[in-house]
Amino acid sequence: MGKENPAEKALNLIRGRLCDPTFVFRPLSGPPDSNYSKLKFIVSTSITEGCNNSILLLGPRGSGKAAVLDLVVGDLMEEYPDSVTLIRLNGLLHSEDNCAFKEIARQLCMEHHLLFSKMASFDENSQFIIAMLRECGLAHKTIIFVLDEFDMFAQASGKQRLLYSLLDAMQSVTSQAVVVGISSRLDADQLLEKRVRSRFSHRKILFLPPSREEIDSLLEHLLSLPADSSFPSGYVTQFNEKIKNITSDTRFKDMLKTFLNANSTVNSLLKFIFRAVSSMNLESGLLSLENFKTALSSMLRQPKLEAVRDCSILELYLLVCMRRLEVKEQSSYNFISVMKEYKTIHDSFQTSDFYAQNVCLRAFEHLREREVICYAENRGQSQAGEYRPMKLLISASELHQGMRSHACCPAILLKLLDH
Amino acid sequence: MTREDSSKVTRRSTRFSSSLTNDNPEPNPSHPPTVADLTSGQESITLDALLSSFPGRRSQILDLIRLIGPLDSPALPVMVYGDASTGKTSVALQVFKHLNRPFVYSSCRTCCTPRLFFESILNQLLLHSKCSSNGYASAKRCDKPSDFVNLLKEALSGVVETLGSAKLERKLMGKMVYLIVDHVDLIKEWDKGAMILQFLFGLYSVLKMPQLGIILISGLPPDVYYSNMGYTDPIPVYFPEYSEEELRQIFLKSQVNKKLYSAFLDVALRPFCRVTRRVEELSTSLSSLFRKYCEPLDDLSISPNEDLKRRLYSNLRPHITSCLNEVFRVSGRPRDGDTRGERRQKASYSSEKGEELEVLDFHMSTSAKYLLIAAFLASRNPATLDASMFDSTGGMDNRKRKRKASEKSMEKKEMAEQEAVMKGPGSFPLERLLAIFQCIASVGDSSLGEEEDEEGEEEATGYDKESNNMMSDILLQVASLCDANFMIKSGSCPLEGSIRYRSMVSEDLSLKVARSLSFPLSKYLYRR
Repeated sequence: MGKENPAEKALNLIRGRLCDPTFVFRPLSGPPDSNYSKLKFIVSTSITEGCNNSILLLGPRGSGKAAVLDLVVGDLMEEYPDSVTLIRLNGLLHSEDNCAFKEIARQLCMEHHLLFSKMASFDENSQFIIAMLRECGLAHKTIIFVLDEFDMFAQASGKQRLLYSLLDAMQSVTSQAVVVGISSRLDADQLLEKRVRSRFSHRKILFLPPSREEIDSLLEHLLSLPADSSFPSGYVTQFNEKIKNITSDTRFKDMLKTFLNANSTVNSLLKFIFRAVSSMNLESGLLSLENFKTALSSMLRQPKLEAVRDCSILELYLLVCMRRLEVKEQSSYNFISVMKEYKTIHDSFQTSDFYAQNVCLRAFEHLREREVICYAENRGQSQAGEYRPMKLLISASELHQGMRSHACCPAILLKLLDH
Repeated sequence: MTREDSSKVTRRSTRFSSSLTNDNPEPNPSHPPTVADLTSGQESITLDALLSSFPGRRSQILDLIRLIGPLDSPALPVMVYGDASTGKTSVALQVFKHLNRPFVYSSCRTCCTPRLFFESILNQLLLHSKCSSNGYASAKRCDKPSDFVNLLKEALSGVVETLGSAKLERKLMGKMVYLIVDHVDLIKEWDKGAMILQFLFGLYSVLKMPQLGIILISGLPPDVYYSNMGYTDPIPVYFPEYSEEELRQIFLKSQVNKKLYSAFLDVALRPFCRVTRRVEELSTSLSSLFRKYCEPLDDLSISPNEDLKRRLYSNLRPHITSCLNEVFRVSGRPRDGDTRGERRQKASYSSEKGEELEVLDFHMSTSAKYLLIAAFLASRNPATLDASMFDSTGGMDNRKRKRKASEKSMEKKEMAEQEAVMKGPGSFPLERLLAIFQCIASVGDSSLGEEEDEEGEEEATGYDKESNNMMSDILLQVASLCDANFMIKSGSCPLEGSIRYRSMVSEDLSLKVARSLSFPLSKYLYRR
């Protein structure tokens, strides 16, 4: 009980840190030319000088755009307690104009403790919003509109009504508003209509993948335990010592490099560390290199290979037959032609695995459910399933590799695949 | 802020429903649902019991438990994926029974629209059960993701508050609620499925509530969900198919006489594993085979010695091959005690012993059977040969002199064959079908008369001689064959104006039907 408790507490602490984006991105906001400071500068000047502004945050998914924005907004709410209102919209949920306006009106009502009626019509909502903008402008309160998944707003109904009305209101009414768009499409501003784009200030902040030094400092920041009184001090120093040993190990550096080659955003790194930390040995209470190794192998999966390895032998036969038909340059084939090939193989090699047509049809269906093969065209609904043209969804090398690592693949199949 | 009332659905009451008195007993109103009901409610099981009830899943169970983490520890979304019947749902639910944490389970197979899905989750969180007093309505009406997010936040904060404040007599349940969504791969087929999938994967970051843990169960691997809208991948946990050894353990677990069953599995499991490794399919075929295996034994609780094992195996061996060819079929007829079927098989048309002759195992009227055969012939034979096939001599003259085929014509024949295979069965207009039907019905009529003194066929051979009066019935039969998917309506040519049909039956089925009518099908089939 005594040894378990600090280990569990440490585990909970680190997991909590990994799931909390504001904690993760705080050290990245230190340096003066980071995205955090740029964003903060823009928003705070528009608050202090009472002007309108619009800005786009762009970067691949998981690079921390929303997190940095949250940090900025949090800090500004502390600095200017009463003069900032935050309205959040998400392109996935609110891409329809009615929905979006209702949501803005609802959030405004919540902020200012007004009564919100769900039955309000679209026009009433939009008038309300414009009136609120004017009032807040006169009272020198800034409203920050955060539009997540900005590209979905731009693509949704084709008219971009919400964007136009917001940006238009900012220009014509006496208002103090900042519109921040977040998108993972780097060309999000190209999607805007002409009239919207003319009202949009083309400020963009790009979020790039972190550099090596940033990653190293991030690792230390996440994994080191604080030396406060809730942990026994010997344990804390032991833990931090072990972390330092691991991160300076060349094998760990190689693993990290392999992982980041595949996916270099901060979010995927967090998932990797989460996986490693979750498999921490609770008895010793220390992380080890093994944890990171298991995490790496479980994150970098090859699903098609696993699908081939899971196939039964009959299904492997069918896959090999399809591959042979492809090699013979038969451009399209269906179940009946695969059955013919299957029969010729059985006749020439006298294999023991020859089953009836209905059994093979069901095995075929299993393969199709697993998305290893699929119908070549979608429109052939008027044909029976056996006559529709099929195609393989895995490449020859994947099939080869899968069969070689299969538990009990008969040798004849490998031979057939090669010839 | 006005709160939304629970939707009062005004229902039109029909005369019938209002005349019914309510007989079903109401759920006991003195037991209001509490937050503690969100756990599985029964005694939690130990880790060892959990691991032993799922042979072969040890590493996946431990993985899942570690990812969920200790009590009150925040977690990133997890996706459990694997083939069908690999135990994903049962393992997830049993893990929660072991951990005794509150969870909400929703399956996308039963909740097949977004509205049903959202409302089922909200009902469980708001501890609302549909009963007749509230008209079987949900607690809140919700069909858009935006409403769902708001309502979910409210419901979750309510539940978390109750969990945090109330004093619970049972063990600690923690302050986190877990959401299990099953059959996520079915969302792809929904209307606007891609959007809903994107929403589901991003739910964790949209909600920003660390008290919610999300576990997704999917039958397809995560790479299927990649879309051009971007994808936040959950942490994957893979459930591979069982190996042979694990299958043995699974099948042995529930058996009474383990030694006998293990001797049976020694001989039967390996050949079946070559066809399929799914537990559900293997269990149906193995259970019927096991019955055959135990037939010569009087006492089912003995443990066999080597000699007995060998004898039982030799008794079973001829049945294994036939069973292998029926692996995926569930027999419509009861196996035990039906010796009539065997008699019929012996007295059937062909006299070859080794061949498995199957009898049609569903009932069709005679005219429907003739229609089926006519449709099959119409699809397989080219229309230009109809005249020579169905002339008054009742069959194709097979004794044509065959010229020695040159190589080019052989090649051409192969290409034509390939094309025919790719195109599948051809389509035919209704008139051609009826013409062929009339021809073969008259043929069948004459051949039936010859074989009337065969052993008493119990099938109704009441095919009337007044076939000409049954045209309207025939058209009805065509419609019912279409409904049963034996024929489908192909596209109609706008020039011709008539509807074309296409036959969907396989050659085996049509041979079976022809055999039951004693109709010489092979004489009428055109072979290239």
